[in-house]
Amino acid sequence: MLENTRREDLTYVGRGVDRVDTLEKITGHALYTGDLRMPGLLHAKTKRSPHAKARIRRINTQKAERLPGVHAVITGDELDNRLGLYLVDKHVLARGSVRYHGEAVAAVAADTPAIAQHAVELIDVEYETEEPVLDPVAAFRRNAPLVHPDLGRYNYIKEVFTPLPGTNIANHTKLRKGDIEKGFKDADLIVEREYSNPNVQHVPMETHVAIGQWLPENRITIWTSAQSPFTVRNLFCHAFKVPRNQVRVFVPYVGGGFGGKAGIGLEPLACCLSRKAGGRPVKLQATREEEFSLLPCRSGLVYKIKTGVQKDGKITAQKMTLFWDAGAYADYAVNVTRASGYSAAGPYEIPNAWIDSYTMYTNKPFGTAYRGFGHVEVSWGVERHMDFIAHKLKIDPLEFRKTNALKPGSLTLTGETVTEHTGNVTRCMEAVSREIQYGSLTKAEKAREKRTGMKIGKAVVALHKAPAMPPFTATAVIIKMNEDATVTVNLALTEIGQGAYTAIAQIVAEQLRFPMDRIKVSLDSDTDKEPYDWQTVASKGLVLSGNASILAAQDLLKKAYETAGQVLRASPVDLDHDDTNVFVKHHPGKSVPFSRLAVGYAYPDGNAIGGPLIGVGQYIAQGLTNLDKETGQGLPALDWTYGAHGLVVEVDPATGEFNVIRIASAFDAGKVINPKTTRGQIVGGVLQGLGTAMCEGYIYDESGRLMNSSFTDNKILTAMDVPEEMVGIAVETPQIDGAYGARGVGEHPMIAICGGLGNAIHNACGADLVHMPIRAEDVWRAIHKIPEPPRTGFLRGKSCKP
Amino acid sequence: MLYEFQYVAPKTKSELLALLDRHGDSCKIMAGGTDLLVDIRAGLRKPQVLIDIKKVSDFKPLSFSEKEGLLIGPATTCADVIRDKTVSREFPILIQAAKQLASTQVRNRATIVGNICNASPCADTALPLLCLDASVHIVSKSGSRIVKLKDFFTGVKKTALRKDEVVEKITVPSSMAGGRGGFMKLKRIKGHDLSLVSVCLVKKGSLLRVAIGSASPTPVVLKDFPAQVTADNVADEALRSVKPIDDIRCSKDYRLFMIKTYIERLIEEC
Repeated sequence: MLENTRREDLTYVGRGVDRVDTLEKITGHALYTGDLRMPGLLHAKTKRSPHAKARIRRINTQKAERLPGVHAVITGDELDNRLGLYLVDKHVLARGSVRYHGEAVAAVAADTPAIAQHAVELIDVEYETEEPVLDPVAAFRRNAPLVHPDLGRYNYIKEVFTPLPGTNIANHTKLRKGDIEKGFKDADLIVEREYSNPNVQHVPMETHVAIGQWLPENRITIWTSAQSPFTVRNLFCHAFKVPRNQVRVFVPYVGGGFGGKAGIGLEPLACCLSRKAGGRPVKLQATREEEFSLLPCRSGLVYKIKTGVQKDGKITAQKMTLFWDAGAYADYAVNVTRASGYSAAGPYEIPNAWIDSYTMYTNKPFGTAYRGFGHVEVSWGVERHMDFIAHKLKIDPLEFRKTNALKPGSLTLTGETVTEHTGNVTRCMEAVSREIQYGSLTKAEKAREKRTGMKIGKAVVALHKAPAMPPFTATAVIIKMNEDATVTVNLALTEIGQGAYTAIAQIVAEQLRFPMDRIKVSLDSDTDKEPYDWQTVASKGLVLSGNASILAAQDLLKKAYETAGQVLRASPVDLDHDDTNVFVKHHPGKSVPFSRLAVGYAYPDGNAIGGPLIGVGQYIAQGLTNLDKETGQGLPALDWTYGAHGLVVEVDPATGEFNVIRIASAFDAGKVINPKTTRGQIVGGVLQGLGTAMCEGYIYDESGRLMNSSFTDNKILTAMDVPEEMVGIAVETPQIDGAYGARGVGEHPMIAICGGLGNAIHNACGADLVHMPIRAEDVWRAIHKIPEPPRTGFLRGKSCKP
Repeated sequence: MLYEFQYVAPKTKSELLALLDRHGDSCKIMAGGTDLLVDIRAGLRKPQVLIDIKKVSDFKPLSFSEKEGLLIGPATTCADVIRDKTVSREFPILIQAAKQLASTQVRNRATIVGNICNASPCADTALPLLCLDASVHIVSKSGSRIVKLKDFFTGVKKTALRKDEVVEKITVPSSMAGGRGGFMKLKRIKGHDLSLVSVCLVKKGSLLRVAIGSASPTPVVLKDFPAQVTADNVADEALRSVKPIDDIRCSKDYRLFMIKTYIERLIEEC
């Protein structure tokens, strides 16, 4: 879909126009699910498990049911419906046993949240606790207690995933490329190390909220803060065996998703409560604490990387074993395991690769999609590893990266050939390297070191990611022309803050040659009204929905030309248009305004032709394949977005405290549709990456209880923590099948920040870190070689040794 | 945790004292509410009556006189202290610490007296007040008494305050006016956070005093030192006086190291 249009010929695409949702949001007029009220609305609360693993012996709900104002109380016993994106392993409410601390075992709908809460406290649950499995590596052991003894009976997508019944392995993704034995034999040096990171919470500003209404004859309406209305509908209908046209999912504004709202969440429970309450709508809104442990998080990861290199810095082989701590349910984690498996080496060419990526069930809150979809976690170890090897070889780490970077002619891990159109990671690295003056300290930096006693270190890291999605992922866009030649665009890609609707409006304006103020992208999504979109995930919206909106605009113009051709007695090939009229190219005076074509053209005598102008564009990913389950070979990538970060960090060599002075980030975006929103994505993503790198992460006690389920002890960064300077750079190697050559950059700014921080700290003070987040205490320990008490390390998500 | 409770806002001290006398254990005094309301929401406290003291008209506001020293009223917020020109001139250390408490929004609500009465080991404003030899003035229906701040804290979130008593003011002697020093606080982020460990040092004339937070069940003030004391002497005394623990915020050994480092740096700087 490369338009081959020079920048100066573009009017709206490539310009930093303001976001289309700005005014509504800053004035507070934008409505979110939590703002919605409807007649008879009830409020729900959940009863949650205080244990990581237990049998449910008995639940007594009588007292709760008798409380005035309570309209429905339900337990898992009543709901034999299973949910699952790829592996159908989760009940709406726990049935028979609980698998993580915080899992919902019962729920109440009542007149007010306070009554519902009171009723929840009156529910009496008798548990028989069992020994939980808390470590993903221990869960892998032969005799480990099973989180899902019934794994062999669950449905799953057989073409893609491989669960192993009788174990805690929800999925095993294999990748085999080249000859790993020979690769290691050819190496002059072999380096093997272990890395790890804990569970992390997405922390959207708006917590998960759903309103469900289940009316007689299975007429169901859901209002929800979800990212993907059609996936909510699909999974709901799957679980409850109701036809798709009976369920309407409505998504108003969403206050941030980051992957945590990608699948299905609170919607089924709200609907089941509504059904039991006689069809009254029921609202279920998670508290912040429930965000941490009722709803899913990012999976933890413990992994080994073994790399063979030649003296000249060429990588010959790499073997990786990854244990994903998916928690109690598979959700998106099985696909995180797969997607990060096939790109696990980072943007580097590995001629001989062997990867085993395991999704491990444990008795912890379950893992789901999270901005970066596994790449943030894997790149932490990969980027630390790259620096470690380079130092061993006495080669500059940036040179080492460039030597091994994917370039035209390289084969990716899955055997895809990189071309000159794929994108250019080396240019990204060079751009950030220049920006931070990599390789030495500036005069000002030296003076700063002298003044503060801090040590300054720099690092350049690289990244890549392709959308993790089925090879047949599809979307559609509809553009309707109104009587005054304004247009309304309908699509079910949701606006979750990423700026998608602004970019779509720019693309439609460019295609139609209409000014922006005549383009309205319908800002909420409704599965009854909008055309299908798979999900708002994976940084694929701009490519797929962007292309669909180009096609829809062209379809709209084609239909306008058809009618105009009759009116002007000209063939459509002889027509052209400006923002007001369709006219005959060689007789511009012969024209008809769009406003007279919009809902059908009427002749002076009342005779009419045409009809309302509606443009339809469908787009489906092209040429992708499932991966071979034994070798991982195939074509999984719609597009690869490459990027690089350069970091300048100062470290207190005594205490390990550190400050991030400067971060420069470059992405091969193919074509930047909107520099302002792209910068927004870069700044937001880099900061989210820094949060993950510096302070976020779940901490458990030995019984699997989450110890930090609030902002008191699960810190996220604030405005005070923003680096002194942040620079965003676009490299533009057009994507042949991208809208105007564009690729997604939604997730990418977050990836590799962790490794970059670790490497910059190492270069500043010699601290060698293998676990993130990197706290000042960890840097202090690494500088002074003081081991962490093993207990606290384990509780923070470091592995116990198998 | 959602439940219904009674909210009362007495207008006078005698009305307040009568309420305290009547409700005793079942009530809780609220000033800024920045600790209390969080605890109530988390289900850690369940008072039946919430007594808001911000509207009591005969409580004194923030003031300073040579005779009485610095007087901090029960409704004096951190923001009040930070903005006050006299405090800035005479007791700048108090402002340094108050500025480290939480965020701007919380500092607009949180009171100094509340920070003291909450008696957290990490109470930021406790450290300068301990160094400044503050006194806590307590009243009840049966009379009034004055307790030195260092004797006021009796354990984690425990104070010498009886259930019918309320703190009417905190005073700092004018002999400490003009004292200079520093406050260092280890945090997980640069934005608002509780202290993982904190050290405050104040020097006045020939006297040097050091207080340490988040390293014992209560904030701790060390014995008085001569102004020319060495960092090693203070650090040795500090490590003898504190009992830090390993917890999810920080390890014991890092706390001890940071106390020592902060003492060395404060003595060098001040």
